[in-house]
Amino acid sequence: MFVYEKRLQYPVKIKQTNPKLAQIIITQYGGPDGELGASLRYLSQRFSMPVPELKATLNDIGVEELGHLEMIGAIVYQLTKNLTEEQIKAAGFDSYFVDHTTGVYPSSAAGVPFTASYIQVKGDPITDLHEDMAAEQKARTTYDNILRYCDDPDVIDPIRFLREREIVHYQRFGESLRILTDKLDSKNFYAFNPSFDKKCFAKEKNNRK
Amino acid sequence: MTARNILLRKISTHAFAIHEYRLFLDTHPKDEQTIAKIAECEEKLRPLVEEYEKKFGPLRMNNDNTRKWTWVNDPWPWEGE
Repeated sequence: MFVYEKRLQYPVKIKQTNPKLAQIIITQYGGPDGELGASLRYLSQRFSMPVPELKATLNDIGVEELGHLEMIGAIVYQLTKNLTEEQIKAAGFDSYFVDHTTGVYPSSAAGVPFTASYIQVKGDPITDLHEDMAAEQKARTTYDNILRYCDDPDVIDPIRFLREREIVHYQRFGESLRILTDKLDSKNFYAFNPSFDKKCFAKEKNNRK
Repeated sequence: MTARNILLRKISTHAFAIHEYRLFLDTHPKDEQTIAKIAECEEKLRPLVEEYEKKFGPLRMNNDNTRKWTWVNDPWPWEGE
């Protein structure tokens, strides 16, 4: 179940429109390392997670990513508000405009529509957590690249906030991986799939006795 | 900045601290110090939310306890107002 809260996780208040920048930033809405993919990835992977701490982490980070999706949408929306046809043409925004006007559509900076092939749900927690850590770093690099093109403090501020969240999430996923491997046989973590072969946790129970 | 935005910023600051502590607790569920810090933040957050909702309308749908459906009122969060 989800409950909506009528506020952004971090404020977005942009005074100066900039369609060129909007076209770059939209990649974090529906691009390969964007917030929509992040949210779907974690909220889907959580179902097959075998350990309570891991279920909680994927659930709660997945929900936070929906809040980030909303922030990116707000940035794109505010950067493209009240545009004239001349501004659209001059910024090279016409190729987006012809298909979506100034609506916010999940696509990459190059205009490729969002696809589920940006994410994986492997059903193996070691594999999925490695994907999640990589995903956070890929998103962090994307934000670093976006910041190269930003000179408006109204845009830099929320983008920096989102960049920092990637680092915190990376940390939490790293801890999750450690919590998992601590429960497995250190001689061979990969002998079993901890989601599918439940017997791999038997040894841990014996150790506790 | 408007009075509404100043208040909203205060709410978001405490709410963010609570969220960050909660994520930390997901991988450190036995950390009692962090659980105590959440209680401190919630103490500060509660009166701010009450003040905000009284003046500017509900933050959550189920918090609307007037006879008027003020949930629909502008501005919505993405509008930057």
